[in-house]
Formats: sequence, structure tokens, C-alpha cells
Amino acid sequence: MKNSKLTGILEQVLLASFFFVGFLLVFESELKIPLFLQPFGRLHTLLLHFPIVLLLLAMFMEFFRFQASLQENKTYLQITQLLILVGALSSGITVMMGIFLAKEPGYGGGNLFWHRWLGVGTYLFASLIYWIRSRSWYQVTWAKCMSISMALMLVLVGHFGGNLTHGGNFVLEPLMKSQTVPLEEAVVFQDLVQPILEKKCVACHNPDKIKGELLLTDAKSIAKGGKTGPLFVAGKPELSLLIQRAHLSIDDKKHMPPIGKPQLSDDELQLLSWWVKEKASFTKKVVDLASTDSLRILSTKLLASSGPKEEEFDFQEADEKTIQKLSNEYRTIMLFAKDSPALSVNFFNKAQYKAPKLEELKEIKQQIVTLSLAKMPVQNADLAFVKIFEHLHTLNLNFTDISEVGLKELAGMKELMVLSISGTKLKAAGLASALKAIPNLKKVYVWDAGLSREDIQILQKQLKGIQVVGGFQDDGSNPLKLNPPQVKNPSTIFDEYIDAQLGHPIKGVEIRYTTDGSIPDSAKSSIFAGNLRLNQNTSIRARAFKPGWIGSEEAIFDFYRGHFRPDSAVLLTPLNRVHQAAGAKTFFDGRLGSFNANSPAWANNWAGVRNNDLVLVTMFKQAITLSSVELRIMVETQTGIFPPESVEVWGATIENQWKLMAKFKPAIPKENFPHTLPLIGTRFKPSTVKYIKIVAKPLEKIPGWHPSKDKRALFLVDEMFFN
Amino acid sequence: MLEKEILEHGLSFNRRRFLSTMSLGLGSVALGSLLVPSLLNGGDQDGTEFTPGIPHFAPKAKRVIYLFQNGAPSQLETFDYKPKLCDMMGLDLPASVRGTQRLTGMTANQATFPLAPSFTNFKQYGQSGAWISDIMPYTSKIVDDICIIRSMYTEAINHDPALTFFQTGSQQGNRPSMGSWLSYGLGNENKNLPDFTVLLSRGIGNGQGVYSKLWSNGFLDSIHQGVQFSKGEDPVLYLRDPEGMDRKERREMLDHLAELNDLSYQEFGDPEISAKVKQYEMAYRMQTAVPEVMDLSKESDDIIKLYGPDCLVPGTFAANCLLARKLSENGVRFVQLYHQGWDQHGNLPFEIQSQAKDTDQASAALITDLKQRGLLDETLVIWGGEFGRTCYSQGKLTIDNYGRDHHPRCFSIWMAGGGIKPGMVYGETDELGYNVQKNPVHVHDFQATVLNQLGLDHEKLVYKHMGRRFRLTDVSGKVVRDIIS
Repeated sequence: MKNSKLTGILEQVLLASFFFVGFLLVFESELKIPLFLQPFGRLHTLLLHFPIVLLLLAMFMEFFRFQASLQENKTYLQITQLLILVGALSSGITVMMGIFLAKEPGYGGGNLFWHRWLGVGTYLFASLIYWIRSRSWYQVTWAKCMSISMALMLVLVGHFGGNLTHGGNFVLEPLMKSQTVPLEEAVVFQDLVQPILEKKCVACHNPDKIKGELLLTDAKSIAKGGKTGPLFVAGKPELSLLIQRAHLSIDDKKHMPPIGKPQLSDDELQLLSWWVKEKASFTKKVVDLASTDSLRILSTKLLASSGPKEEEFDFQEADEKTIQKLSNEYRTIMLFAKDSPALSVNFFNKAQYKAPKLEELKEIKQQIVTLSLAKMPVQNADLAFVKIFEHLHTLNLNFTDISEVGLKELAGMKELMVLSISGTKLKAAGLASALKAIPNLKKVYVWDAGLSREDIQILQKQLKGIQVVGGFQDDGSNPLKLNPPQVKNPSTIFDEYIDAQLGHPIKGVEIRYTTDGSIPDSAKSSIFAGNLRLNQNTSIRARAFKPGWIGSEEAIFDFYRGHFRPDSAVLLTPLNRVHQAAGAKTFFDGRLGSFNANSPAWANNWAGVRNNDLVLVTMFKQAITLSSVELRIMVETQTGIFPPESVEVWGATIENQWKLMAKFKPAIPKENFPHTLPLIGTRFKPSTVKYIKIVAKPLEKIPGWHPSKDKRALFLVDEMFFN
Repeated sequence: MLEKEILEHGLSFNRRRFLSTMSLGLGSVALGSLLVPSLLNGGDQDGTEFTPGIPHFAPKAKRVIYLFQNGAPSQLETFDYKPKLCDMMGLDLPASVRGTQRLTGMTANQATFPLAPSFTNFKQYGQSGAWISDIMPYTSKIVDDICIIRSMYTEAINHDPALTFFQTGSQQGNRPSMGSWLSYGLGNENKNLPDFTVLLSRGIGNGQGVYSKLWSNGFLDSIHQGVQFSKGEDPVLYLRDPEGMDRKERREMLDHLAELNDLSYQEFGDPEISAKVKQYEMAYRMQTAVPEVMDLSKESDDIIKLYGPDCLVPGTFAANCLLARKLSENGVRFVQLYHQGWDQHGNLPFEIQSQAKDTDQASAALITDLKQRGLLDETLVIWGGEFGRTCYSQGKLTIDNYGRDHHPRCFSIWMAGGGIKPGMVYGETDELGYNVQKNPVHVHDFQATVLNQLGLDHEKLVYKHMGRRFRLTDVSGKVVRDIIS
């Protein structure tokens, strides 16, 4: 057959379209459809009728092409040829549009898969027919087979496409009942068990395909069972065939559903076995089960999860420029999400808030869905502005100046569901009626709003269907223990005297203390009044008391007198690597260490030695009269921190003319000695010195009761006191 | 000769046909390529994939408070009840259970792995009937508000990598912290405070280091860095004006500085310069906002009793919980707490009780407090450590004293609010508490879930750096849909 110019061009276009479609398919996941092409994609649903009609007609003609009467009819043959070409071409264009359309959100799933590939198939198949139909071997049988296959394909592709646009079962839908069942009416078998069977089992156990002589389509057949026997023993899931088969290993021949078919999910399996356990009733309703019943909890979950998930808004989005104009440092306007028109607005900084700031939001009144005015000086009258935000569903008025009077302004706000008015000053009278006037209110927060527990209980009774959240109110039934007092002096080391400052973070607490080593009590011990002057080493024991609280544990504050601070100090021996602290300065920096010195991060105030003596030389510009030396040390036997073996105090008035002034050996602790931070030291005859040398020898052999016996002990000092 | 000509004719015809067809094909492909922007321009599509500051979908949670229990609390003394361990006390952990799990150097050389039951009892609480140990009396009261995940597992076996993995999605560090990702993804809520703040506290238990790399912005813009709020006079270092400088002077100084910075920005175009200007401005506003937030003196008696008296002692976990609530309430997207001291290799019964005492009341109080303000629905609270602890004793096992080593294969955390199902217990471990038996949750799954609750798709929250698109969840992670309400 001779090609006319038109068919030549059309053939070229068809050829080009293969490449184009092929390309689109290969890179489908990467495609970005520009806005102007989207309408083109949407025309798919219109254009698809052309290839269907053209190709059906062409196939009809193709089917009869080799009939004797038509075989010679040139016009007939030309028209058929052209129809197939145009049909193939139009199906190609439809495929392209379809690919574009499928990129829009909302398309997916099995229907799309079949529709897409059958569509592409139709297009290729039509083109194939076009090119092979004039070959010499293409005769009657070929023509009939090809045209019938083509027509079938067209029907199928149309069917899946229809499912996509109208949903599955579009045609029969009017005859079927609705799926969502309210929890109150749900029947365990009918609304939960049956759907599982329908989804996972009925494909092989239906009247058309009764595998194992088992029918699972209706209650009667289910009760009857199959070839192997009844499906279940009521109340005994472990003996029931239904449950046993599902629990078999997946490779087992008897496992149901068979390998390769969609399996039961954990929830579904659980539901089936609980249903059997509950006597496999066909009539029991979900609400008939006890509220703690596992089956009920699971059923509730499954029924609920089929409900609507994401909120949808049907209003226009606000202009970006308007949002930007209205946003500032103290008023944040945020988009809910990409592609959502909803806005949430928060106000910050009380000092910057004025009522007109609320009024300014008029331009976006449609879009505001959540609004927080917490802690702003909002007045009752301002709530009139709030009412214009017709789509508001969450409103936070915590700690504002509003009351139940102002809440009346919110009456009739149809979409308002959550209202927080904690920290406001409410009166119980009138509150319920104000809240009732908000028709769809679901939750209201009224903690710390001047309502008593009883008020809140009554309110909850008055407001059926609204959750009233009261929060924590101390009723004094569970008194807590106070925390111990604190010392406020920056350092507890002093030279002449110090005014001890004790304090407590909680207002109205009474601090009682002793200085004689006894434990303070709430009756007899002195009350701290801010006038406690100390002039010697003192250990203050203090406790805090307050009505309505349990008295605190005692706190012990050690105050140390260190009258002389050397003008310079030098260490003659190295310190332990992790206990460097501030070197020689450590001992006179007024900073005390605490426990846990073995962890380097906290070792800062402790200087320590283990493998050598600690030798410290200090110098005074002016001679002093020294009569005692004390060292504050750590004793933590568990981690091998012991007092020193011995301490020597040397003095000199002239450099290097040392004279031993005192030597002492601290007591070495016994087993289970508690962790302490004691002072060790000695008094001696007062003598005048300019130089003092301290030589402390760490304990050479840890006592025999200790796990690391006979090893050298660690010796830690944080401060020294010369008096 | 004719044959050759026919052949040549055929060839040239074919070549011509081939070329013309190819040109058609090329043309079509070129046309098609217009629709695949990433094909020809190197695939730079950061702008179209993600707009910083706008969630991908409507978020359930707007903010996060993460109560990180640093050092790894034992799941066996808190949320994962294993009565079987009592029957098997002192018996060696079967090798089949341990499998190929690597051990730390601290127990690898132990001759036996004696199974150690919990010293404390468990009871069931609330509607959900979750088992909670006796050392958590306050948490047991809020059990219907929280979702306990008992099937967490991680890859790291030591503190720093595990912690870094939890926070940044990588064991090695140098990546942005979770808070920085959220700051990048969600943007500022309150422009007077940083998006991401950090609060530290320490219990008396064995402590592990917490370093500022954990709240680093990594390769993200430095405005997303975590800001540490410390105890004491100056909660935010260097925020205060020097003595003798008033607000007006500061304002003028900043204005002039901004002009200078703008000049250098024009010259060099370095985005760090504009980030710096923004930070100066925020610091200026923080000067008034921070003291207001940090002021605990106006908290009511009920609040003090709810959180416990320690909430007024700066630097305690209780005080940090209270501050976390205040910061969150004021629009701080991510408040990260760390409480140190949960590393109980030895002396566990004593230390863990004191750790629990430090954290139990205040953690529960935070949930109650957020709830009574209507904020729990929009705030995601997370409580948990970096891994779990072994079901066998490290060191000597006695009836009332033992230790537990690091264990990455299973541990428990809880989440509350922010669209997480309340009153739920998710996942199961085996009866010895060594392996996860049902519904395992990997750290990346957890991170994906957190992002999901904030309206972010963890696969789309990406940042291109050095030629690669980075994610918090690296190349894995699945949102745990089962725990989302």
C-alpha cells in the first residue's frame, strides 16, 4: 500500500512518540511536571475516549478485513489502516498525559499499576498491529486474533482506569452497604472477623473455589467447618484448626493462608484467636465485652484506625506577603504544613502586646486555626476579636486576664475544639453555660484557674462530652520532704571571722542549726536569723522546716579558718597526672573539692600524689607566728584514697635553714570506713617563720583488708590552713 | 557488481533511516528531559525538595523536650520486668542467647556471666497495666499518659558513640544534632529565644561526659546550634551587657555593626556573616526574654510541690525540667536535657535508686504540668538513655549488690504527648531481657518517628554538604506507625 504524505508524517510522529514515552517511563520517578503541563495531564480523562473508540472501530474493521467482499474495497482498507494509525497515535498521546496525571498526588496502588502498563501495552500493541498487518504472513487468523486481543486489552485498561477515577466497585457500590461502623454498634464477628476472612481467606474458600471443602463466606458455613473438621473449639484457640493452621511455619504445606498469598497480620491473628477464646460468638457486640478485655481493646483500635486521619481544610490559603507583613518578633505566624492553608499564630513578650495586635490579624482571619495568647494581657473585651477567626480549633488563653464573662464572646464558634484557660481567674458560676455555648468543644483546660476540685468535678458533670482537665492541686495528703538548707557564702574559708549565711530556695522556710555536732530538731535547736558569726573552725548542721512539709535532711557546712595565706607557694615534687588541680595554688585558692575525685572532670579542686611525697614550700613576705597547720583531705577507701602515712611541717626564717616544727601520723581508716572529707593537722608551740615546708608521704601499703592491699594509696588534698 | 550496489543501497538506506529515526528519538528524549530537571543540571534540587521552616505535613507535635538519661539507665530495674531472672539468678547466660554480641572490655574477660535479677519489685499500673519498678513511684502514676518502648536497640556499645548516634544519627559526630535538624526543618517559633536549648544536670551515680559537640549544628547554618543554659547568675554566657552599657547604646552598637557586616557580606557573600548578624539580633532580644524565662520565683506552691523542692535549686534535674517546661511553653522547639550518672557498672542498687530519686518526680511532673496547660498534645517528651544494660552481673553478684555492663541489644525508653499513643507498652524482649523478641525499634526508627511527629519526612529532611545529601537517619529508619495515635 502506498503511503500518502499524511500517513508518512503520522508514522514519523508515532515513531518519535515511542522514544518520548520510553523516556518518560524510564525516568518516571524523577519527573517534575511544570504547572502549565498539569492541565495537559488532566485532559487524559477526556482524550482517552478517542483511542478506545478509534481502536475498537478499527479492530472491528480489521476483524472482517479478509472477508471476500471487503478484501478488494480499497477505501475500506485505507480507512482501516488510517484508523489504526490514528488510534495508535492517540493512545500514545493518552499514555503521555496519563504519565503526567499520575504524578499528581493521590494516584497509586494496584489499579494504577495495571492501568499504566495495560495502557502502555495497548499503545504498543496497536502500533505493532499497524506495522505487521501488511506482511504477507498476516492472514485471516492473525487479523482475528489480533483484533480480539486488542479489544480485550482496551476493555481492561478502561476498567482499571475507571477504578482509579471512580474507585473500585463503582458500578456495584449503590448495592453494597457502608463500611464504617460506629464502635457502639459494631458486632465482633460481622464487623471485625468477617472482614479479615473476606480479605485473606475467601479467595480460595468461596462457592466458586471451595478448597478443602471449606466455605468462609457466611456464619453458617464457618460454623460447619471443612474436610478436616470444624474450624474451632469455642473458647480454646490453641485447639482450634483456624488458629493452629495460621500458626504453622510458613513453609509448612498446611500453613494458612498458603505461602505466596497475603498473610494474616499480627493484629488480625490476635483478633481471630481472641474471638475464638470469647466462645466464637457470631452475635456479640464489641461494647458487650468488658472494657479491659483484650479483644475489646484491639477491636476498638482496629475500628478506630479506619477512621479519618488528617484534617482537611476547605478554605483558601493566605497571601504569602500578608503573612510576612503581619509576622514580627513578637507575633509568629506559621504555616501548618507545606500545601496547607492553615496558619497557627503565637504571641510572645507581654510588654509588646496590645489589643490592636490581635485586630491586625483580620486579613488572615479565615486561615487561623490555632492561636496562642498565653500570658498576654488579654482582656475579656478582646475576645470579641477572637470570634472573627471562624476556623479556629485550638485557642490558648492560659494566664491571660480573661474570665468566664469574656468566654461568652466565644459562643457559637463552631470549629473551636480545644480551649486552654489554665491560670486565669474563673468563677464556677456561669462557666459551664459559657462553655456549653461553644458547640463542638472537646477539651477544656482549667488548672490553676481559681476552681476547687469540687468545682471541677461539678463542671465535668455539667459538660457532657467535653473533657475537663484540672491538673495538679496539692491537697496536703502526701507531704513532701523539704530539701536541705544551702550555704550562701561564696567560700566557707575565712581569715579572722565570717558571718555564716544559710538560705533555702523555698519561701517561708525556717532553718534550725547546731554547732556542737548534734542533729538539729524542729523544737529546740536555734533558728537561723542571719547573725551567726564564726571565728574558728566550725561545723554547722542545719535542717529546714515548714508547715505542710516534712523536715529536711540535715546539711553539714564546714567553715575553716585559714588565717595566713602565703604570698607564694611552690611544689617541689610532681602531682599525679589526673590530680593536677591548680598546682601549688590549689591549697590556698579557697575552693573546696567534693567527692568523686577519681573522675577527672570533677577532680579539679583536688591535688594528689601516689608515687612520690608531696613537698610544698610556701613563703611569706612578712614573718608570721604559726601555731597550727591543717590539711583538708579526702578519704575514700573503696577507690584507694587514704590519709597520708605522715605529715611533716618544717619552718624557717631564713631560706633553706629548715627546722622540723611538727610531725604527725593520721589514723588509717578501718574496713567500711565511710567516705569523708576530714581535716588532719597538728598544733605546736607558736613560732615565727617566713618559710613553711609541708612534706606529706602517701600511704605506702594499703592495709590487708583492702582488695588492693600492699599497693600505694592515693593521697588527695584540696586546701591547707595555717593559723 | 550489482550485488554490491544493492548491498550499498541497503546500507545507506538503513543508515539514513537509522539517522533520521535516531534524530526523531533524540528530539523526543530532549523534549522529555525538560520534564526531568535533575537529569541535566546535576540534580541540585534542594530548593524544590525542602523549604526550611515549613513542615512536610501537618505536625502532631510542635516542640520536643528530650530528657536524656546519660550513662544508660538499666531497663531491668525500671521498665522491663523479667521475673525469670529471679529463678535463674547466678546461672550463666546461655551462649545461644548471647550469640555473637560483642562485649565491652569491662566484662569480656569475665569467666561467667551470672544472670542478675532486679533488686527491686515491679507492679502493674494504670489502665494499660504496664509494669513499672518500685524505684519510679511518680512515673508509675502517669503511666497512662506515656508510651513505653521496651524494644529499643542501637549499634554502639560505648557511651560517647552511642550518645552521639542518638543525637546526630552517626557514631562519629560532626553531624547536626537532632535539635539542630528540627531548628532547620521547622524554623523559629519564638524569635526572642533560640530554637534549640540545652540544660545539664548530674546525679551522684557514676557519670559520663557530655560535650558540646552533642548540640553542634554540624554542617548546618550556625543559627541552628544548641544554646546551653547553665545554672547561676548568667544562664547564657556573655549575654549580659557589660557594666555601664545601656540598652540604647547596645542597640546603636548593633546597628553600626550590622552595617559593617553587611558591607563584608556584599563583598564576600559568606552566609556565616548574615547568620552572625541574626545571632546578634537574637541575643539582643534574648537579653530581655531569657531573664523572664529563667525566673523561677513566680512559680506557684503547687508547681513546687509537683516538681519537688529541688526544682528551685539551680542545676538539678528537677529545676531543669521546670525550665524545660518554661522554655517549651515559650516556643523553644527543642529542649535537650542531659542527666548524668546512670552508668552503674557496680553498686547498682544504691546508685540507681538515687538516680531515680533525682529524676522520677520531676519527669512525671513535667508530663502532668504540660497536660494541665493543654500543651502535652503539642509537645513530645522523650525519656531514655543511649543503650541498655546487661542481664548478667558485671563483677560479683550478691543478693543486694551487683553491676551491669553496657548492652546495645535492648533497652527501654518512653515517649509522651505529641501524637504518641498514651498508655501503651510497645515491643518485647526475651525472658532473660537480652534480645528483642517483638517489634524492634532501631535508633534511626526512633529518630524517624520523632521527625514524623513534627511533620517532617525523615527521608526528605536533607541537607546537601560536600556533594552528599545528609539526613538525621542516614540511609535507614522507619517511622514506628504502631505507636502513633
